[in-house]
Amino acid sequence: MRRRAGVGAIQKQKLEQEKYKDKGTVIQENQFEQMTKQMEVFRGNLEEFATKYKNEIKKNSQFRRQFQEMCSSIGVDPLASGKGFWSVLGIGDFYYELAVQIVEVCMATSYKNGGIIGLDELRDRLIKARGRNIQHQEITVDDLLCAAKKLKIFGNGFCVIPVGKGQYMVQSVPGELSMDQTAVLKLLSSSGSPCVSLSSLKVQLNWEETRAVNAISQMVIEGLCWVDSQNEGEFSYWFPAMFNECITS
Amino acid sequence: MGDVQWPWQYSFPPFFTIQPNAETRQKQLDAWRTLLLDYCRTQKVSVIDVREGDLLPVFNNTTISRKLSPDAIMTVLGVLQKTGNAEPLDKTRTRWNVYWHTLDEWASIVYKWAQDNAMLNTVCTFYEIASDSGDLNGIDDGVLTKALRVLERRQQAEILTLDGGSGVKFFS
Repeated sequence: MRRRAGVGAIQKQKLEQEKYKDKGTVIQENQFEQMTKQMEVFRGNLEEFATKYKNEIKKNSQFRRQFQEMCSSIGVDPLASGKGFWSVLGIGDFYYELAVQIVEVCMATSYKNGGIIGLDELRDRLIKARGRNIQHQEITVDDLLCAAKKLKIFGNGFCVIPVGKGQYMVQSVPGELSMDQTAVLKLLSSSGSPCVSLSSLKVQLNWEETRAVNAISQMVIEGLCWVDSQNEGEFSYWFPAMFNECITS
Repeated sequence: MGDVQWPWQYSFPPFFTIQPNAETRQKQLDAWRTLLLDYCRTQKVSVIDVREGDLLPVFNNTTISRKLSPDAIMTVLGVLQKTGNAEPLDKTRTRWNVYWHTLDEWASIVYKWAQDNAMLNTVCTFYEIASDSGDLNGIDDGVLTKALRVLERRQQAEILTLDGGSGVKFFS
């Protein structure tokens, strides 16, 4: 005859469960403790690393890039916050400083280029402004992109526009460029010419007359390009940001 | 006469078309103002005839085949007029005086020249003033006369008509 479960068995089961629970919490606590220890070690190492290589981070552009790559591969953004322990690295400071300088250059040149500037010109001007020290000079396009992207948090008054072939332009006037306006910039950048005409837009971008007129007249209104009425045949539209003499002046 | 330092805008074709956008036009006219005053100072141009503007290289860049039209030249001169750097010589506003120093400034420069050269209380000719080696060198007779009229109003000089031309007496 099969015996039915008695009170003793139930109590025994309960006891076992409780023991399991206890063991569980102990293991969890252990793990937590270990994690904390590991984090502390990690943090300690990082701080050590930071103090040891702080200057290297500021000086060496290649080192900076590798560090950025490492961070992104483990899913960490050292620029995300100035408060977290990543701030001990000072890498954030480096990019913040760069971002401020980028804004300064954009402000200083916007009177002539209407608020768009090629990344290469930006880099040249920045380097001139940063002083002669080698460590100030070694600013890569990657650094600039990284810093400029951070400026996005201030709204759409500041953005980086890829114009194809690894070329970028930085826009520093309020108001977003439309897709069509970006297409015009891309066309200019790839053709290497500082000017367009309505007919060249129609042919090369396959646009209707009104679409081309809209895109261009908006850019004239925003002060990004100038009108030339003395071109043979039709008006042409010139972008100072793409005009060599303007870039080097 | 020194060479002109052309700014980047001079080789920028749309610089020679008055811009439709107000903000851009402001930048353009500012640049024209600086360029034209610079040009007139280094090339000693005191009189500009709007109809013959394209005879002056400043208004006619043959390298890029761009000219500033007479209307546009008048617009630029109008900007100069606002700051006392230009003045029309006739009612149709075709002939203009350009002052790279305003008349007030010219007056002070002439008076300082008189002080520095011990010419106070004596009579000197326009020729003497215009053969100065500094700023006053080659100053246009018309401009000089206007500057001296300013001094007359300040009671610091008096223009005299001499046999062989004009002269002036400076008062201390």
